[in-house]
Amino acid sequence: MGEFKVHRVRFFDYIPSAIRTMAFNSQTERLAVARADGAVEIFNFNDNFFQEKVIPGQDGRAIEALCWVGHRLFSAGLNGEITEYDLENLRPQYTVDAYGGPIWTISSNSQGTQLAVGCEDGTVKIFAILEERIQFQRNLNRHKGRIISLCWHPSSAQIAAGMTDMITIFDAETGHATRRLLVDRATGASKNKEVVVWSVGYLSDHTIISGDSAGKVQIWNGLTGTLVRTYLVTKWDVLVLSVSKDESSVIAGTSEGTVIQFQFISSTVDQHDKEWVRTRTFRNHSHDVSALAHTDTAVVSGGMDTQLVVRPLLDKVEKNTQESALRKIAFPHRSLVGCAKKAGLLLFQFPDRLELWKLGESEGHGKPGDRLPVKRKPEKLIELKRKGEDHICCSALSACGGWLAYSTVSNVRLYRIQYSNTISINKVSKLPKELRSVHQLCFSSDSSKLFASSCQSSVIVVAVSQQECRYLHTLKHKTGSRQPVHLLCASDDGKWLATANTDCEIHIYNLHKMKLHCMVPVYNSCPTTIAIHPVTNNLISVHADQQIFEFSLVQKEYTQWSRRLQTQGLLSLWLERDTPITHITFNPKNLDHIILHDTYMFCIIDQSLPFPELNAVLWNQMTLKSLPVSQRIGQSHAFKICKSFQHLMCVSLLEDLSLVVVERPLLDIMSQLPAPVRQKKFAT
Amino acid sequence: MAKKQRGKASSSSKTADIEKPTKSFTLSLESSDDEAPEEVTFEDSKAEALRSMKQALDTARREKQLLKEKRRKRQELFQEQKKRKLLSADVLEEIDSAFSKKQKQSEDEGEQEEKPEKEGGDGKKKKKKKRSGKLANARNLKGKYTVTTVKERTLASFQQQVAEEFIQSRLYGPGTCRTTSELVASPYFIFCQVFYSMTRGDAFLQRFYHLVCCSLVLILSEQSFCVADVK
Repeated sequence: MGEFKVHRVRFFDYIPSAIRTMAFNSQTERLAVARADGAVEIFNFNDNFFQEKVIPGQDGRAIEALCWVGHRLFSAGLNGEITEYDLENLRPQYTVDAYGGPIWTISSNSQGTQLAVGCEDGTVKIFAILEERIQFQRNLNRHKGRIISLCWHPSSAQIAAGMTDMITIFDAETGHATRRLLVDRATGASKNKEVVVWSVGYLSDHTIISGDSAGKVQIWNGLTGTLVRTYLVTKWDVLVLSVSKDESSVIAGTSEGTVIQFQFISSTVDQHDKEWVRTRTFRNHSHDVSALAHTDTAVVSGGMDTQLVVRPLLDKVEKNTQESALRKIAFPHRSLVGCAKKAGLLLFQFPDRLELWKLGESEGHGKPGDRLPVKRKPEKLIELKRKGEDHICCSALSACGGWLAYSTVSNVRLYRIQYSNTISINKVSKLPKELRSVHQLCFSSDSSKLFASSCQSSVIVVAVSQQECRYLHTLKHKTGSRQPVHLLCASDDGKWLATANTDCEIHIYNLHKMKLHCMVPVYNSCPTTIAIHPVTNNLISVHADQQIFEFSLVQKEYTQWSRRLQTQGLLSLWLERDTPITHITFNPKNLDHIILHDTYMFCIIDQSLPFPELNAVLWNQMTLKSLPVSQRIGQSHAFKICKSFQHLMCVSLLEDLSLVVVERPLLDIMSQLPAPVRQKKFAT
Repeated sequence: MAKKQRGKASSSSKTADIEKPTKSFTLSLESSDDEAPEEVTFEDSKAEALRSMKQALDTARREKQLLKEKRRKRQELFQEQKKRKLLSADVLEEIDSAFSKKQKQSEDEGEQEEKPEKEGGDGKKKKKKKRSGKLANARNLKGKYTVTTVKERTLASFQQQVAEEFIQSRLYGPGTCRTTSELVASPYFIFCQVFYSMTRGDAFLQRFYHLVCCSLVLILSEQSFCVADVK
């Protein structure tokens, strides 16, 4: 197979942002997750929980609540504004100031015609949802104290609003408060502390369920205004509640990191005396759970520990299948590391800055597993802070290391870097006006052109040179898809450009003729990474359901190898991996090798070797090592997997054939998170 | 009864004493309904009324005068303070002279600029006034002074900060028992992570290990109970 010198990089200080809130759209099976830095991520639950879209954040946009209305996504935050997002161009479409101070909660009625927001000044404001915008309709009666949470009754006639020390039920037509439910404060020492009702749920039989900061989940009768049942579930706060669609199950998330399920079931066989009973407790988080979504089959939770956890409910899915397995999504499903192969440089993308590092050097040789002494330490060459409030959306580094580009939702910046005695970086001013809202950036391999994907899946080609940056061409496709491009890849010989968008379409453009060459047949799973082989010009694509395809660009059809792979089928252990492949690279010395990686392993696929049989062991590297050389050929198969390095953010091969492995251990991230609650655990 | 009568007698004698010198006014401590009202002459009552009016006017005038005095004193005090605050007279002279020169210059410039503009006379005048108004505020002070604008903390950002502080105080403030993140790297948490990475994607294995762990916990806890019983 080969021995590689490995640059083991652990100086990428990537810290994901805490999950603040989430909202599930059951029509489109999409989950929208809002993070503390203002970024909004869309996960496709139909496609192996792939992170389809990321809308970058903005300074000061502190999102507190998200709401789906049909296919439209609205958010409201502490900056007092309601924002509607353009999911085709991955940016906020417009913002409306509610003029009520910071907004704590947003909710739409079941018909999707009105939007209610709860504000800091104690008012509930109703907005009408129109075709292209929202319009302020009226205020409900103002109350003293901020409105922390609210929920519409399914008939859209009443709104329950959770405030400090009480829950008020408003009549949505007249705006008057019809009932006031007083919430008890915590017993004991904290009786002086006001209790905040963090979350309310309103069911169609007028039952109100509330979770408050005293750790109680209370069930009220909304018609009479009386308390039916109290459950003290935690010593800390119950931060969030979510009601299932059929209203038979409610989940509550606490500051302890637990998610507690309540179900409306009867204790006896007789179906008449149903009541809310506490059933399951899920402990999947180490920090506060601040966001919950109750889908038909699973409980989705997220919080301060930045991980998204999908816990299928075992009474809704078939047991012992991949469907019923716990899923934890901790890392983004796209590459944040750029590598300049010829120059040995790494570019790290953070939301607020870019860091350019030069890899270190070592000398000497050793046996596999040895640690070589470092002759020259890696050094940070440039730290480039972004200008303005918008966070960095994407970045690119040319292969020679001389050009650096990044984009935000508002603009694109291009820099020229010179490596003489000292590093100098110069911004290229006067970029072509076509470079406006860009989702992906990519340099050509000879660093003469910059490709930028823009709206409606089009690609803008600009020529970069010492003197200027000149607009060349816009490449468009013919399918009429308006979805954004999330993958962009140029071939080494400069003839081909491949793009992939979230409609699962992959388009190939001929750069010599500057027009569309062909489109790869659409596979129903979104591609997570694409790459073009430097010599054979075959396009390798790996999809969210872990399928691998190889398409010949010259012949416009799948290759023989790809057809054989599809006929044989991939091993179930390969298909059951829960993190997507985020990067593909090739070995210039051995043209049969394809190097891929996901978060927990990297794999070299040797196209000259046979595929593993269905009952073969996928991870057979250890067994192969123990066999003598002559017997290895019989046992070895095409997939060579190495799990020594975790958790991987990028694996790349430099020109001098040394491997660069960028790791970010999860424990390093965990140790830098804010404090969790103090829990007494056995032996701590 | 006797006491009462004595009391009465004494009081009546007192009133009798008082009554003797002043025949006109009756300050009767005990008035009985049988007695006829005392006579009061017209002049007397007129004099009394005039006197009381005069007294009232006098007091009002006195009060006004007192207030005036107070106000005057206050004003003097303020003027003194202001004088202390202002720069000394010669510095002000310098400034004035420099300013007057500048004003002349800029006024000339202003005139030149306005000539090519074709507007009504009123418009021109207004503009000139505006410009001179602006110029009046410009000061060319000697010495090194730099003028910078302070970044305005708008009301919205202030409210946002208050809201963020509210969340922070409720979740991380006093009374919430929070620990440090180092404890998160405790053996229990590391075990959870290792367990997940080993059993990712394999639901059967997850349930199997979960069952094993739960039964282990039960066995261990049962053992501890046994120990307790023995003791």
